[in-house]
Amino acid sequence: MNPNIFLILGLIAISNTFDTARELFLKSAINGLDAESPRDIRSLIKFLSKLLRKRRVWLGFLCSILSLIFYLLVLSKADLNFAFSLDSMHYIFIAASAKLVLKEKVGASRWFGTLFVVIGIILVTLS
Amino acid sequence: MFKKRLTLKILLFLILSDILETFIQFCFKKSTLPATGFSVTNLSDALAFMKTVLSSPFLWLGICTVLVIFVIWSTILSKIDLSVAVPVASFSYILVPVCSIVFLKETISPLRWAGIFFILSGIILTSLSSKEKINES
Repeated sequence: MNPNIFLILGLIAISNTFDTARELFLKSAINGLDAESPRDIRSLIKFLSKLLRKRRVWLGFLCSILSLIFYLLVLSKADLNFAFSLDSMHYIFIAASAKLVLKEKVGASRWFGTLFVVIGIILVTLS
Repeated sequence: MFKKRLTLKILLFLILSDILETFIQFCFKKSTLPATGFSVTNLSDALAFMKTVLSSPFLWLGICTVLVIFVIWSTILSKIDLSVAVPVASFSYILVPVCSIVFLKETISPLRWAGIFFILSGIILTSLSSKEKINES
């Protein structure tokens, strides 16, 4: 096992926290738009220009950059296959935060899928 | 109306997105290869790390590919449901380890493969459950 394992896990968790924050910012920005979902190029441009005026979208971009910085730190310390597998941690964070922050309904089979991801992450970490 | 029919054209787009995703991961890993052996808790070390990585062409190649994949995904999702697209797209979870073995000379133990398959099935289960919810409503 890599001696830096806890440091790497922590950095991946930080990177995935920023990923999750980005998803929450973007989703809540889109939820706040009264526009319909775009159907053609013209309505898509209108939709995007409305979206880009939201501060939450830019906070989302900032989170993307921060997430990438921490992910690069992880890659310099860990094998790619390890880092990429553990990057699936955001599936767990997003399921939990969609329930807690966005008050979305998370069904039984989705929790079941999330549990599989958790088991997978534990196995990869132990390997 | 829900878009479920997976045509050959969309499938090819999805496979392309798998390959590009793997390429992005490979580029990011490559960009950090000259910058190992620093301490993340030391600020000047971390800044030196950022400088090395930012000056790597691989990083920028990876970021450009992220933009390309964003366009491809927008196209895919306008044609097909997310619950159909994600299971196919998550095959990058196999492609990335394979690429790590072939191009980066990494080794993967059977236990790690088992973990990867658990993660993959978890993602597929999670994305299929959204189809369930749509059918109910």
